[in-house]
Amino acid sequence: MQNKAQAEKAVDYRNPDYYWNRELSWLQFNRRCLGEARSRENPLMERLNFLSITASNLDEFFMVRVSSLQDMVHSEYTKRDIAGMTASEQLSAVLADTHDFMSSQYYTYNRQLVPALREEGITMIDDYEDLTEDEKSYLEDYFTTEVYPVVTPMAVDSSRPFPLILNKSLNIGALLTRKENAGPGILNRTKKAKKAMKSEAENLEFATVQVPSVLPRVIRLPEESEKPHTARVILMETLIRHYMPRLFLNYNIVCAYPYRITRSADMDIDEDEAEDLLREIEKQLKKRRHGYAIRLEVENDMDPRMLNILCSELLLPQDEVYHIDGPLDLTFLSKVRKLEGFDDLHEHRYAPPQEVPQLPTGCDIFAQIRKSDIFMQHPYESFQPVVDFIANAAVDPQVLAIKQTLYRVSGNSPIVAALAKAADNGKQVTVLVELKARFDEQNNIVWARMLEKAGCHVIYGLVGLKTHSKITLVVRREEDGIRRYVHLATGNYNDVTAKLYTDCGLMTCKEPFGEDATAVFNMLSGYSEPKSWNRLILAPLWMKNRFLSLIDREAQHAKNGEPAHITAKMNSLCDPDIIEGLYKANAAGVEIDLIIRGICCLKVGIPGISDHIRVRSIVGNFLEHSRIFKFENAGRPEYYAGSADWMPRNLDRRVEIVFPLEDENVKKKAEHILQVELADTMQASLLKTDGTYEKVDRRGKEKINSQLIFCNEAVAAAKAARQQADSRHFIPEEHHQGLEEQE
Amino acid sequence: MAIHTFAAVDVGSYELGLKIFEISRGRGIREVDHLERRIDLGSDTFYTGKISHRHVLQVGEVLRDFHSIMETYRCEDYKAYGTSAIREMTNASLVLRQWEQMSGIHVDVISNSEQRFLDYKSVASRGQQFNDFIKESCAIVDIGGGSLQISWFDEDRLSATQNMPLGVLRLYDRVRQIDARTDQFEGLVEEIVGAQIETFKKLYLGARKIHNLIIIDDHMSNFMQSRGMEIVSAEKLQVLLSQTRESSLHNIGSSLGLSDEALNLLYITGIMVNYICRSFGADRIWGTGVTLCDGIAYEYAEKHRILPPSHDFDEDILACTSEISKRYMGSETRSDTLETIATKIFDATKKIHGMRAREKLLLRISARLHDCGKYISMANIGECGYDIIMATEIIGLSHKEREIVANVVRYNHSEFVYYEEQENVTDLDLDSYMTITNLTAILQLANGLDRSHKQKFGDIRIQVRGDKMVITVRQGVDITLEKGMIKHRADFFEEILGLTPVIRQSNR
Repeated sequence: MQNKAQAEKAVDYRNPDYYWNRELSWLQFNRRCLGEARSRENPLMERLNFLSITASNLDEFFMVRVSSLQDMVHSEYTKRDIAGMTASEQLSAVLADTHDFMSSQYYTYNRQLVPALREEGITMIDDYEDLTEDEKSYLEDYFTTEVYPVVTPMAVDSSRPFPLILNKSLNIGALLTRKENAGPGILNRTKKAKKAMKSEAENLEFATVQVPSVLPRVIRLPEESEKPHTARVILMETLIRHYMPRLFLNYNIVCAYPYRITRSADMDIDEDEAEDLLREIEKQLKKRRHGYAIRLEVENDMDPRMLNILCSELLLPQDEVYHIDGPLDLTFLSKVRKLEGFDDLHEHRYAPPQEVPQLPTGCDIFAQIRKSDIFMQHPYESFQPVVDFIANAAVDPQVLAIKQTLYRVSGNSPIVAALAKAADNGKQVTVLVELKARFDEQNNIVWARMLEKAGCHVIYGLVGLKTHSKITLVVRREEDGIRRYVHLATGNYNDVTAKLYTDCGLMTCKEPFGEDATAVFNMLSGYSEPKSWNRLILAPLWMKNRFLSLIDREAQHAKNGEPAHITAKMNSLCDPDIIEGLYKANAAGVEIDLIIRGICCLKVGIPGISDHIRVRSIVGNFLEHSRIFKFENAGRPEYYAGSADWMPRNLDRRVEIVFPLEDENVKKKAEHILQVELADTMQASLLKTDGTYEKVDRRGKEKINSQLIFCNEAVAAAKAARQQADSRHFIPEEHHQGLEEQE
Repeated sequence: MAIHTFAAVDVGSYELGLKIFEISRGRGIREVDHLERRIDLGSDTFYTGKISHRHVLQVGEVLRDFHSIMETYRCEDYKAYGTSAIREMTNASLVLRQWEQMSGIHVDVISNSEQRFLDYKSVASRGQQFNDFIKESCAIVDIGGGSLQISWFDEDRLSATQNMPLGVLRLYDRVRQIDARTDQFEGLVEEIVGAQIETFKKLYLGARKIHNLIIIDDHMSNFMQSRGMEIVSAEKLQVLLSQTRESSLHNIGSSLGLSDEALNLLYITGIMVNYICRSFGADRIWGTGVTLCDGIAYEYAEKHRILPPSHDFDEDILACTSEISKRYMGSETRSDTLETIATKIFDATKKIHGMRAREKLLLRISARLHDCGKYISMANIGECGYDIIMATEIIGLSHKEREIVANVVRYNHSEFVYYEEQENVTDLDLDSYMTITNLTAILQLANGLDRSHKQKFGDIRIQVRGDKMVITVRQGVDITLEKGMIKHRADFFEEILGLTPVIRQSNR
């Protein structure tokens, strides 16, 4: 026994060999998305969408993660990460992997999707000469009337510095020579350009044109009537490239190539010093446009002279240049997906969000919540009750106050509109708008101003922390006193993403939850935290320890020979303390099933460390986003849900809320979600010991698509609820008899 | 069921607190919301006597927030009290007015004894648990920012209470001023606290042990509760307190999310509680977690008769008064008789003087303390009695009420000075002075009726008949002395209440 204990003690659970690097793990996730783009089991238009998603994911990855690694390298940060890699090692590995990944993206595009589209009647035209005369004529008109007025050619010379190339914008660079008899050129080459071109013999000059973002990038050409159900598509950059001579009349176009840069999107906000956070963020957003370039995408065959100019002007080394075999920026595929007339190429198995059985349209939401806690599973169940919850509160004379946290909000948010209306109706409305929500900063500034104008009390959260929690509190004065209604969720108050992301929400009016919710908002308003919390678990102060103690409790149960099992579903797992806790629990004999959509730094299959841990990732029609945690607790299972992943940023640097699921029906529903996802054989991939993922081996197994099952169940539940409601419409006896007679 | 929404505001030495309550007979007192904001007013006023301009503005803004929250809950009423930091301000009235203008909240300054009494009431409102604790010898240790109050119970009854300038914030400032290291805190704090605690023990306890301690504070109780230990044995407390020592402070800080300063205050409170526990030989300790706001709500509910009384607090005040009287060699028997006669006169003339229960309590206190001045000078009982009472804290009484009692006792022996004749600057307004006048008239008459100190008028009947107040004494009692001596006192009584006292002997 003593030896065993000593052996246990001797294990170094923080050994870097037991962890994957988070950036490389993220790239694995993007590969799983790419896998969906390649999968013939998905309808063609959905495959385009997946490929588009991988491209936008990668953009964000460069803007945030790669730029952060570069910062670390530049500042000579030498600390190793959880997997024992220095920043420099990580950067090299990431760049190598992304080069490989982008090759795979374009392989998928060129070899699989373009031919598949062609087979379905959709032709992607990448050479102007492939156009028919009619099409050319149409494009001539289109260019002259629509495009030409909005393009701005920009020359680069010693008096005109290299222009600011916008982040993620698509541009066409050109090398020019002055036409004979056209007089002396206006362009004086910059020193850098001279150096880059090496030879002055050709007297080349550089100019650039931004592909206008105000016009659609995907141009569908007029269809020939004899060929119904077909589409011919050309991209805007192909069109502009063709008409470059029009833009530089006295010049010969030596060559013209599209290029695209990605810039660092990190913001440097000193919240302690900022007197007005909103203004400071606005200032930083302007600065972000000038973030340094971290990636240059160019066409495979770009003229090396032009490439040299771009690299030297943008200060980019060769390994940050990506030579692309196809159109740059594959996000345009999401627009191709929307081409009309190809419905049969879309996914139709998933029904739209269904009515929540306990919350039928027009019901008294507050009365329904009083009956029991309501647990919703979006997007299978509609998000509308959440909107109605706030909208009803806004006009309910008994409601005294509405308090809510907003992290990412949709463009025309009905929730924000309801909050403004509530303030207008004299309710006390307190809204925490998180201004630091990455890439939603500008949007949130607009909402914050609008809500302030409407009379809401807008707060921007706590210094140094992002408020990522999703919570709404409605305070209502009822006959028996103040009653608080609380909505807690795993996803944002965003009615648009609520149709695409899988999330959970709980509505309750249990007093301990209400007290805690009140304390949360008091705390966010700058008042002291409560002496203790009844139910809610909050980060950054309490959550990590609580999770660690719950994990440890399972380990103790396992040691005592009692049932011990952890099932956790989240987006990412990379917190070293939590992973260490899981390894220890594994060593104690706890069975652990993890459903992790994205990053997972935990390694599976290490004998004695993680040989009882299984990790699966579900990448499906909807973005898996909910976080649900189950601890077996010696046969008395406890369930939690919340806004936090097991990541340092969630547990240490954000305000997050995890809440227990207490009602038996709610627990059953949570258990069902976990079990169905663990049984998924269609969309799930399993983490292997080498860090890659592979689809579940379906041989001899039933085809189980968890998202489709949830969808069908929601349809059935809504139908049953409607039938039950209809059966309560009593028919007077005479009338009833009359009907019988007719029959 | 009528539900009253009430807000209680505590402008404390280092924290501002707001609690919103719903109070109803059916559901009792229910806390609906609770906000606290840390603003260290104590450090300003304890050392400079004033609050910095920055803090004046900060408090004003917080009070404005509080006001808006009260409006959200549509509170019917509120009560805001300022405590020791405000009491010690030399410019209090000016600042209080600024705050009222900024926020619309009027803050009343309460005396230490009122504050402690409210704290005590909030603990007493816990009902059975409180009664269990005071059954055996028990002390309430109320650790505020500026001072420490120890109230001692003997056989269910509040026996004595003493305030000492040993507030946790004050001690923290003191050890900070001498640049003490954290590891020196324990020795220093025990030294400072020990000197005064031992004096208290000598004065009140002697060799007696205090079995139970009730702790009212902002740090230790919460820490105990966070560890799931509201009530602990002395041994358990030692274990718990060892966790507050320096080596473990950081862990506590991270687990409870406390700031460094809050941790230090917890540490000092722990040292104080530990010392008192050892010194009193306590077996059980209850960390109540109540705040002044709870007491304010309880007082409101009690005053508006929303809740039935859970404990006779007037009896506690009277018991404390008797202890004070005892300390100054007052005659218990004489005081009892005087109190009986005075209350009978009070009750019989209620319709004329219009005073209520609170004034009756003040009369009873005055009767019990009527002769405390004798301890200093037999020749100058009135003035000496006045000085003793003004220098002695009587739990549950405001400063003004104490001054009323002191004056009633003074004029029971000395020539009455009318309101218009006063030479000394006093806080007393005309209404308070009228109370003094009425109570003096009653006490003087009662005193006259027991001139012989032989309790002849212990069993009397008093009735008002027209412009006469008829005092009927049972048959067989020789009242010649009283009849002869009462003249002067009867004149004053007649002047004040418009009734001529007439002494009759019963025929039966």
